[in-house]
Amino acid sequence: MKYVLALISEEGGMEDASPEEMKAVMDRWDAYTRTAVDNGAFIAGEALQPSPTATTVKIKEGEDPVVTDGPFAESKEQLGGFYLFECKDMDEAIEYAKGIPFQEGTVEVRPAMDFTDLGYEDFTPGPVKAKTSR
Amino acid sequence: MKYLLSYIVGERTMEGADPEEMKPAMDAWAAFDREAVDAGALIAGEPVENVKTKVTVGEDGERIVTDGPFAESKEQLGGFCLLECGDLDEALDWAKKVPIQPGATVEVRPIMDLSQFGYESATVAPAKAKATA
Repeated sequence: MKYVLALISEEGGMEDASPEEMKAVMDRWDAYTRTAVDNGAFIAGEALQPSPTATTVKIKEGEDPVVTDGPFAESKEQLGGFYLFECKDMDEAIEYAKGIPFQEGTVEVRPAMDFTDLGYEDFTPGPVKAKTSR
Repeated sequence: MKYLLSYIVGERTMEGADPEEMKPAMDAWAAFDREAVDAGALIAGEPVENVKTKVTVGEDGERIVTDGPFAESKEQLGGFCLLECGDLDEALDWAKKVPIQPGATVEVRPIMDLSQFGYESATVAPAKAKATA
């Protein structure tokens, strides 16, 4: 079953970080991702650019959509990244959530809805295979 | 470049709904996904349920697991897709086509390309690219 881990935190905080500190942080994230890949759980996962780079498209009835610069919610806490994992159950998804190498933040765990029972194709591919040569 | 499209809905129209009633909407979603796959744009996409569990990481590194339901704001993430697009305009074209109910919002966020720092993204390639590989 697929689960989305949404990574919510306050933006910024890394502007004053030294290159060594940045590298240490990014190595931790990379290691976490590699573990998920090796476990056969990882389907997708990305860091997002800061929320000011967002664009919002509001869908309207019978009118053209309205496009606005900026994120949907102007809040201090924003979505900084996400993972899409294949897990056997919620407990496994929560274990992954606990392993997220945040300094500070919240991981929201959301189960993906599965409509394949109703005959709809799931276009999302399965987990990536761990690369054999590293 | 990759873009994350988040679908923000005020009201859930799919959860618990009658499959017969849902069919037109779901057919529209299937058509959207299929179009995005055929264009080589769709990497992944899922409708998602409300947050079931949160894990909060405090300054001290402690992890606290909280089960829902949560008293959230009315707006919720209904789903997302991750697209490979040439530029923001292309991503916005897709966002405008998302068959989401009127009143809902699609937030388009560019992903951070970490390859400039030497980190390779592990995310799968777009579905069509894989099929012809």
